[in-house]
Amino acid sequence: MSSWNIWSVPVGIISLIIISPVLAIFYSALLGDTTLWPHLFSTVLPRYLLNTLLLMLGVGSLSLVFGISTAWLVSRYEFPGRSIFEWALLLPAAVPAYIIAYTYTDLLEYAGPVQGYLREIFNWQNSQDYWFPNIRSLEGAVLVMSSVLYPYVYLLTRASFITLPISYFQTSAIYGRKPFFAVALPLARPAIIAGLALVLMETISDFGTVDYFAIETLTLGVFNVWLGMNSLSGAAQISSILFFIVVILLTLELIARRNQRFYEKHSRQESQDLEEISNFQKILFFITCLIPLILGFIIPVSVLLNFVLKGYAVVNISEVVDTAITSISISFVASTTIMLLSFVMVVVATYKSNTFQKSLIFLASCGYAFPGTILAVGVVVFVGWLNDIFYFQMSYFIGGFVVLIFAYTLRFLAIGNGSIRSGITRINPNLIDASRTMGRSFLTTMKKVILPLTYTNILVGGILVFVDILKELPITLLLRPFNFETLATYVYQYASDEMLEESSFAALIIILAGLGPVIFLSRTIKKYSTKTN
Amino acid sequence: MKNYFLKLLAIFCFIFCFVETVYAKSEVNVYSYRQPILIDPFFDEFTKTTGIKVNVLHAKKGLLERVISEGANTPADLVLTVDIARLSQFVQNDLLMEVSSDILNKNIPSHLRDSNNKWFALSKRARILAVSKDRVSNNSIKNIEDLADPKWRGKICTRPGSHDYNRSLLASIIAANGEEKAEEWASNLVLNLARKPEGNDRAQAKAVHEGVCDVAVMNTYYFGKMKFNEKNPEQKEWAKSINLIFTNQDNRGNHINVAGGGIVKYSQNKDNAIALLEFLTKPEAQVLYSKMNYEYPVNPNVEPSEELSSWGVFIEDQLPVERLAELAPTAQKIIDRVGW
Repeated sequence: MSSWNIWSVPVGIISLIIISPVLAIFYSALLGDTTLWPHLFSTVLPRYLLNTLLLMLGVGSLSLVFGISTAWLVSRYEFPGRSIFEWALLLPAAVPAYIIAYTYTDLLEYAGPVQGYLREIFNWQNSQDYWFPNIRSLEGAVLVMSSVLYPYVYLLTRASFITLPISYFQTSAIYGRKPFFAVALPLARPAIIAGLALVLMETISDFGTVDYFAIETLTLGVFNVWLGMNSLSGAAQISSILFFIVVILLTLELIARRNQRFYEKHSRQESQDLEEISNFQKILFFITCLIPLILGFIIPVSVLLNFVLKGYAVVNISEVVDTAITSISISFVASTTIMLLSFVMVVVATYKSNTFQKSLIFLASCGYAFPGTILAVGVVVFVGWLNDIFYFQMSYFIGGFVVLIFAYTLRFLAIGNGSIRSGITRINPNLIDASRTMGRSFLTTMKKVILPLTYTNILVGGILVFVDILKELPITLLLRPFNFETLATYVYQYASDEMLEESSFAALIIILAGLGPVIFLSRTIKKYSTKTN
Repeated sequence: MKNYFLKLLAIFCFIFCFVETVYAKSEVNVYSYRQPILIDPFFDEFTKTTGIKVNVLHAKKGLLERVISEGANTPADLVLTVDIARLSQFVQNDLLMEVSSDILNKNIPSHLRDSNNKWFALSKRARILAVSKDRVSNNSIKNIEDLADPKWRGKICTRPGSHDYNRSLLASIIAANGEEKAEEWASNLVLNLARKPEGNDRAQAKAVHEGVCDVAVMNTYYFGKMKFNEKNPEQKEWAKSINLIFTNQDNRGNHINVAGGGIVKYSQNKDNAIALLEFLTKPEAQVLYSKMNYEYPVNPNVEPSEELSSWGVFIEDQLPVERLAELAPTAQKIIDRVGW
């Protein structure tokens, strides 16, 4: 198989186009003066960097704990509520991080119900009488971000757990090894890492939560340099550091598992039946699964619902329905586009590319590591260049949509690629060779062999992307055409002034719009995994 | 597969038809840093009187970069910002055109517009102190400089220093007292803070109400928004527990900042854009600014609303607002150094 062929070359070119805005950011970073650096190094940068790393460490660890534990429990054991948890554990994915940060502050701050209740019980007079953890802190950010980000880990890991062949568990039982540590964890590693990578990239690029909690991370630094010191290039330089942190992390992981094999030798396997357990374990597992669900879904939704019921929300049904339709349509179109691209890119990268092309495709999915607004500025600059060269005069609206979908692709390709790649690593390469020896073309092989085997992964990625675009704010805000509102921008016009009460109705609709697909997804995965096994 | 493709195509078409609006002949396109809920009533009023349709794109960050990159193709006619720093960035990048309009010149005093008439202030706000009614006597603070006094140790609340409003306040102090004094002030202020800077201006007033601190730094209009908040009546209580102090009344006056706008150099609906800008400075619109948003009118012929006047008449810092923009980067560096 030559690595320069009709598959890899176009895909390489597409990758190059996708990363162009990132190159525009680099260009702007290189162009800029570096006179700010001594100032930044001696003042804020060490603090920003430390906070960023601590936040990544915290959110990464907690998301792994939430995600892997629940994924293992629901795919291995029979306990009350298990079949509900299976899909319900995904619900927090539909809650935007900026909304959860706000609801938690409302709940836990001095004037909130929790502290008010405590004061009443213990008869405390004011804040000097007692100590209460401040939710607007690094720990608070770790908690709220993990409780909405763990579904990435949960979803990908579970998809991997339910397809584990029974023979491996039998073998581990014979040798008296614990099935979780000896089999499940090592084999699910690509999926776990893919989920973790998404969580970390989301953490590193988050602006809403860290801004609201006033945590000084590199992202906050990016905006201070850009808007406070009027230095876009300085901001681009800091963003590039963020980018390289992510690229290094991902590369290390790739190197670490380069020579490992995650696929099964025999393709037809029976899957494990659910295990019966003691009542005590049932209760324990029930609680383990309930905690992340309460933290990431029940609490924020209750707070929002409370606002609506109290009449704080602006309820304009026709406006919200209009924006919901726009939101859902654009999310659908964009997520379909992204998954289609992702599938082709990952397949070509795996079977048809040389190292250079692989790196290009890999880099194309790193846009996720940039703060959304910076990425949007990168797109703006790139489109500006194109305009200078080609002078294409598209209709303003159509042009606006193409640009918006392009920007979503750049930002969320990582999710698509991550979930598809974790599926492809589990396909036995002999299957592909067999298909090719039987004279089938690469296209047919792709359609008849790889597509069905990664179907669940495509769905998983597609729904995650869909829900993410539904929530997406900074890119939509800057790149949209005139008079164009999505649910997220609609919520933002209030939330940006810390008036989330007014927008609580629309915020609930964002969550609601994400629920349908999430539940559908969970059903399909289950059906599909029982069918193939 | 083919079926899927057709469906996809149908959805694409659907979306484009959905939002594709036919360009009316009489239109003006606005890029606005200001939130739609605050500015839409003005546009509705403008459309009602003139028949000119206003299209708005709102974003808090990046509109400058968008106009730069769109260049001569930009659909934007008018840019509206909420502070002077962003406005002067547009001027520095040569994106605004000179406008000669008698109405604008008459309605806006010269220190509130660009020397070349490239931008115009549309409303003013003062950055004031909100102090606890119970715990702080009204004459215990006279100047913004007093916030550095050790007697306020652990008693002051502000939002983060690197927010536009605080940066601009610090810039005004640099202009008045020099960089060194300003840095000394900022570092003492940080020592006096009751808690890590967090939240917005309203959250600081709330903290005073709750007893977390005694003195908060705040923009004037937040007071009105709290005092008359029907959606969230709890905020009325916050407003009740604070007094407003205008600072530096015996010397340079209280620091002010402006919201304003300018016409984009490449505007294709220049006349409509100027008409809109003029409209925003006319008495009927200026009254709206003070009635709805609790901002001070720039038009000297328009009295602030009764409510605004009841907060006190004050002397404002006469520093040309452009200086605030020039000094913003210096201010940000100080903020970084003192960790505000």
